Amino acid sequence: MAHIPDGVLSAPVLIGGAALAVGGLALGLRRLEERDIPKTAMLAAVFFVASLVSVPVGPSSIHLLLAGTMGMVLGPAAIPAVFVGLLLQAVLFGFGGLTSLGVDVVDIAFPGVMLALLAGPMVRRAEGWRLVAIGGVVAGLAVVGTAGMVSLALALSSADYLPSLRVIAVTYLPLAAVEAVIGGFLVGFLARVKPEVLGRQATREAAA
Amino acid sequence: MNGASRILRRTAVALLLGFAGLMALAGEAAAHRLKLFVTAEAGEIAGYAFFIGGGRPEGVDFAVKVTDGREVHRGRTDAHGAFRWRPETAADYTVVVDAGDGHWTEATITADRLTAAVGPQTPSTSPPTVKAATAAPASETTAAACPEPVDAAALARLVEARVDAAVARQLRPLIEAQVAAEGRVRFNDVMGGVGMIVGLAGAGLWATARRRRSEGEAS
Repeated sequence: MAHIPDGVLSAPVLIGGAALAVGGLALGLRRLEERDIPKTAMLAAVFFVASLVSVPVGPSSIHLLLAGTMGMVLGPAAIPAVFVGLLLQAVLFGFGGLTSLGVDVVDIAFPGVMLALLAGPMVRRAEGWRLVAIGGVVAGLAVVGTAGMVSLALALSSADYLPSLRVIAVTYLPLAAVEAVIGGFLVGFLARVKPEVLGRQATREAAA
Repeated sequence: MNGASRILRRTAVALLLGFAGLMALAGEAAAHRLKLFVTAEAGEIAGYAFFIGGGRPEGVDFAVKVTDGREVHRGRTDAHGAFRWRPETAADYTVVVDAGDGHWTEATITADRLTAAVGPQTPSTSPPTVKAATAAPASETTAAACPEPVDAAALARLVEARVDAAVARQLRPLIEAQVAAEGRVRFNDVMGGVGMIVGLAGAGLWATARRRRSEGEAS
């Protein structure tokens, strides 16, 4: 799925992906404040572990990506977090190639970060169920975005590996639904216990 | 700072709980990758593709290629992700399975594992037979007990094919287990990765603290 192995993508796609990933990494690291480092590392660890666990669905198998959730909590720092997680998965387990690491980082992290940036003002203002719904939509759409990016990377490389729409639909849509539930729940939870994480004003209950 | 340490503690607890939950859920820590098991059975290339952690790609394309990249056969996997194809000549074949969603894997089977059944076949396709006793009227008494083979080479081929089939049958579970074990995600590796992330965070904190201190000294 999102772990594209070595030898599939063409050189221009690999180079383009690597360049974008380096740009994203630089942006994410520059924005990374000292106090955000533990938070970023924890989410990187969660991503690393969670995306190792896969469940068979239809003709393929899926695993969590958590990109939308990471984007909402970390902002651009989600890019280095995803990079570290993917690098370790590639080195330790051979999931995804090292040459395609840049493309994989772009595929997974960028949709989540961009959607979270777009939804940022709404996440900061919305309350109650509306907030949960926004979190769910961001997390779910991030998966759809990743599916689109992976398909695009494969389509740009070679017609041989063009993903079939049917397989993408039956594997990514359930994943998007699951991630939407997780993202919505997490955003709702964070807004209650630690609103600053989402860039919200601390409410009285949370401060108490 | 108090708030920061509280969220750190909370997140750490949540992380550990979530981690334990995931591990319990996955049992043998499952992972995500398409792998391929290929073996030679009586001159046929057979095997199946599987996802580490469960699931087989059903009804997806598989292709058989020779060493120069030329495609010699293309088909679809069955409901169990399995495929089967009989090559006409023994050669090094590479089987490629494309699950259609960017998952893709290949494995090569060497010529020597196909040779016995496919390779130096006699022009006549009839299997080597053993002459019946009636065909050797000169020695009626001994022929009934110990029939003579048509020729030694044919017998050797027959024996070799049978032995190959038996060995392939016995080896199959072993190779399957080996291929599965190769891709298994081990708990130690996962913990090693988590440890590395913690170490990176520590290094990052150390670097920023150092920079802050040197800035403080300069001013």
